[in-house]
Amino acid sequence: MKTRSAQMNPGVSSKQREIVRRLAQLPGLLVLAVAVVFVAAAGPAFSRQLATPQASQSTLVQHVKCVIGLENIKPNTKGTLSLLPTGLEFEAGKNKVDISTASIQDIFTGQESRQDVSGPGGTLAKAAIPYGGGRIVSLFSHKVEVLTVEYVDPNGGFHGTVFVLSEGKATMFKDQLVAQGAKVSTHVEPPQPKEQKP
Amino acid sequence: MKTLTRAAFPSIFSIAVSGAAVLMAAALLAQPSPPGKPGPAPQQAQKLTASAIQFERSDPPEDLLVPEDFRVAAYENVILQLIKTKKFQHVYRSGDRTAADVPDLVILHLIPQAFKEGSQKQREVTTISGFTSIKVKLQFTSPDGKILLEKDLQGKVRFYGENLRATSDLAKKVAAVVNDTF
Repeated sequence: MKTRSAQMNPGVSSKQREIVRRLAQLPGLLVLAVAVVFVAAAGPAFSRQLATPQASQSTLVQHVKCVIGLENIKPNTKGTLSLLPTGLEFEAGKNKVDISTASIQDIFTGQESRQDVSGPGGTLAKAAIPYGGGRIVSLFSHKVEVLTVEYVDPNGGFHGTVFVLSEGKATMFKDQLVAQGAKVSTHVEPPQPKEQKP
Repeated sequence: MKTLTRAAFPSIFSIAVSGAAVLMAAALLAQPSPPGKPGPAPQQAQKLTASAIQFERSDPPEDLLVPEDFRVAAYENVILQLIKTKKFQHVYRSGDRTAADVPDLVILHLIPQAFKEGSQKQREVTTISGFTSIKVKLQFTSPDGKILLEKDLQGKVRFYGENLRATSDLAKKVAAVVNDTF
């Protein structure tokens, strides 16, 4: 008997040890499962919180022309237009101008085309091409978007600024400013170019 | 001291007569021109004085659509040109509440009358079409609304340059009127 019991005891103890070991693993697995469920549920919320600042920080467009309207920025200056959590910022060299979202009264976008060769240098070059070849160069143009932002200063004085951006960018800026809470009114689109008189 | 001889009197007399004639001619030229004839005198009479000016935005008539970028560019160009004239101690923007306290304030209105948007490409290729023009009625008024001066102006771009250059042309014409009027 001693011998049998001695033979049976090692089998029983190994099974018990196995069960004990599995029982010990169960809480760990349970905790892991709960953690996975929590992470899965919280993941989208965290990613949404992180995505918004990333999107606003990444809205930065270079080579934007400020046609007119910003203090301390000369007309037709090229610079970088960026969207901050507080509004718009235009940076040209050392000069930086901010337009806060709260001060914006209206935003307009429009499409135009610009000559590929333009400016005083381009005009001279076109004029220098013999046999009217400059006119052929004038046929090459590209589409641009115009972003017009109307805002007021602390005294209530009206300001307006006009930016020229590459195609699609103006609409993106407008949508993001509207999402930030900028005021926009409903606009009547002007018809195709045509002489209009009252 | 040498006494004058009788022979010197005719020459002195002729100098005196010619001097009097010159003075009379100058006096006649300085007279205001008779009514109906254009002359520089009416412009002199319309000189205005003001220490500050406020440029108020005016909406175009309902049947006239002017793109907002044109309106804004015209507004900002006119503000820049008004400052450049150095005729006023302060140039107030539309809606500026601090302008209400200024005693001798003149208000400038530019009321859009007509607008034709051309094409830069068409202008540069054909040179005879594609012009952009904007016509406005310029008004200087007192704060109580009394019209002090009214004039029609046109800004245009005929050959080279972007369409928005028409607003710069218009602003320079407004500045010329301000220089003549103040």
